[in-house]
This record gives sequence, structure tokens and C-alpha cells, in this order.
Amino acid sequence: MKTRIIFLSTLLLIAFAFYAFHAPQDKKKGGPWKIEAKYKAMKNPSAGDAESIKLGKTLYAKHCKSCHGNAGLGDGPKAANLETFPGDFSDAKFHAAYTDGEMYFISILGRDEMPKFDSKIPDEEGRWAVVNYVRSLKK
Amino acid sequence: MKKILFSILLTAACTFSMMAQDEVAAEAKVKDKPVRPGFQSGMLIDNQTTYVSSPKTLEMDIQHKFGKMDKGFSDLFGIYSPGANIRLGFSYTPIKNLQVGYGIAKQNMYNDFSAKYVVFEQTRNNTFPVALALYGNLAINGTDTTGSDKLNFYGVNRLSYFGQVIISRKFTDWCSVQLNGSFSHFNAIDSLYDHDKLSVGINAKFQFSPQSSILVEYDVPLKVQGIAEHLAFFNPAKPNLGIAWEISTSTHTFQIFVSTADGLLPQHNAMFNQNDFTKGDLMFGFTIARLWSF
Repeated sequence: MKTRIIFLSTLLLIAFAFYAFHAPQDKKKGGPWKIEAKYKAMKNPSAGDAESIKLGKTLYAKHCKSCHGNAGLGDGPKAANLETFPGDFSDAKFHAAYTDGEMYFISILGRDEMPKFDSKIPDEEGRWAVVNYVRSLKK
Repeated sequence: MKKILFSILLTAACTFSMMAQDEVAAEAKVKDKPVRPGFQSGMLIDNQTTYVSSPKTLEMDIQHKFGKMDKGFSDLFGIYSPGANIRLGFSYTPIKNLQVGYGIAKQNMYNDFSAKYVVFEQTRNNTFPVALALYGNLAINGTDTTGSDKLNFYGVNRLSYFGQVIISRKFTDWCSVQLNGSFSHFNAIDSLYDHDKLSVGINAKFQFSPQSSILVEYDVPLKVQGIAEHLAFFNPAKPNLGIAWEISTSTHTFQIFVSTADGLLPQHNAMFNQNDFTKGDLMFGFTIARLWSF
């Protein structure tokens, strides 16, 4: 009887530890974005521009870092409270999946847990700067 | 004939040249966009900046100043001191560059109504080398005066006003400086004071990371005999020195500071501040601003 209790307790502990380490990875991934055609075709006026990336880094630190993390891995301090994984910006697949215009739509207009930033980043220069900085996080 | 032809060609060349210059000038005018904001918040410790939030932004401010830190560890540098002051304020940006606000403060039970308007912003090609903002408020002293002052302290006698012109310049991404000139007026005031007070100030922001900055303020109430009602100044207000660490996020701005004046309304500091930083009259304080966008 005693052995059985110890065995079950150990099993429970392992299960708990496994869950504790596994749970954050189980955050659901957001479904496909419904993006209007006009955004898909939008041209990035400052793609790859060093000044734009520098500005984007500042805006990212202020508006995005708390959820998306310092390096864009989706591990910011607020990410733990989200139901949806915020995405991994270092992953090349993420970047291949979206055009700059689509990234603009996702970043600025948002949906569900991803807030809108159109009033916080009111100018086009700043919005594209965020897109350019996120692009620069690709490994 | 040749001369006539030459004259026509010369006139045409001049005209095209002038048109081209106009186009270049017009293009430069269109391209001269405002610089990105030099300040990350509308407040700089006790002062206003030339920054106004985006339209349809509601801001809630919690301002707190502890007591003077001159007693050292006995009251934990003023944190346990009974002389604390607090203000709760709200401001809203209905249209671009205009902000209106309302707040209540513990000191003198002030209720204040304020407005700030950015007349023009600094531009990148120096069409406007500085930004200019106007700020004004009206405060109501809500102190209970059931004592001997009751007869003199009613209605409009409780009102005080503050008007300020602020000029700022963003020098680099990390350094912005502003100068201000202010006029304070109290409808009713102790007979030994003047009703009016002029003051000037200099404020600066030094940003050392994308979210963090050091803020400095120095405000000097002026002794201007031309608007004085007495031959000598009785207990003239002392300058206000402050230094803060500011942290700015998407939805909050935090300022943790040490400053001289105990008031949270600018006209109160300009008229009554008796704390002297040269004698160690300093206090801890903080400001929390929460922003909501609609």
C-alpha cells in the first residue's frame, strides 16, 4: 500500500512537472488572418532602411516588447497571460508567410488579443518602421 | 529680330527657372514633416511639455509627492511623513494637438480644469525649428473656511489661474530641451503676497534607452517689481528643481522623481513654494499616467 502511494505520488509529481514545462508550448496558434487585398498589395516605402529599422526598434520596445519579447520570440512578460502564442519573429517561416503589407495589417490593425496600434502609432513612417524592425529579427 | 528672339528666349528661360524653383520650394514644403515627438509624455515632473497624445486618447494621471526627506531614516526620507500630496487627473485629446483636462488634489482641495494646445510642431527641415505650445488652467481652492476667513473666501475668490508658453526643441533622438514662461494669478491671496507672479523655467529630457529617460526641471519664480503690490517681497517663492527617471510603455508612463516644490499645481508652486533645494528641501514623488486609445 505504502509503495503504491509513493509510486502514485511520484507519477503525479512527474505529470505535474511535465505539465508545468509543457503548458506554455500548448498555447493555441492563431488561425489564418483575413487581410484585405489592398493591404496585401501595399508597397513598403522604407524596406531594409537602416534609419527606419532604428526607429522601429524604439517603437517595438515601447509597444510590442511586453508581449513579443526582446528578440521577438513571443516570450515577453505579458505573453504568459495570453491565450494565443504571439508568434516567433526569428522563424523564417513566419516571414515567408506574409508580405510586408500583410505584416502592416497584422501589426497595426490587429485582432482578438493583438491590439490595434493605429492611434498609438499614427504615422505611416512609424508603422512601416515596426514592420521593418520585425523583419530584421529573422534569424 | 535676333535681339527680339533672344529676349523671348531669355524671358522664357527665367520663367521656367522661377517655376522650377517654386516647384522645388513647394516640394520642400510638403516634405518638411514634423519631427517625431521629443517628449514621451505631456508632463515633465511638475511641468507640461509640448507633447500631446494622439486624438481620442484618454489619460489618467496619478501624481504623488511624499514629505521632505530632511529627517532621514526617522521617516524613511519623507515616505512616512504626513506631509504628502496627491492629485488624480484626467485629460483627453479630442482633436489633434488639443488636450483638455480635469483633476483634484489633496493640497488646498484644488479642483483644476486645464487645456493645452500645440500651436505648431518642430519640423525636420527647420521650417519651424521649435515647437510651441500654450497651456492654461483654472483651479478652485476647495478648502473649508468656516473660520475667520469665511467672508473673504467665497465664490470667485477661490479661483486661481495659470497661463504658460512653452517652446521646445528636439536636438537629437536622445536630447530635447524646452523653455517656458508663465503667469499665475490668484483672485484672493494673503495680504502680504502679490496676486500675480511671473516665472520662467527650463526642462530637459535625456533618453538613454528606447523606454527610459532622465528628466530635469528648473523653474524660477521671478520678483518683478512692475507687477508687485508691495515695496518688498514677503517670503518670495523659491525655485523648483527636480530630476526624474521616466519609463514609457505603450499604455503607461512612469516618472519617479526627487523635487523641491510640494505643490502639484504650477501656480501654487510659483506663488507659495518655500522649500529651498540649497538647504536640502527635497522630496520623493512619482507620476503614473495610464493611456487609453479609442
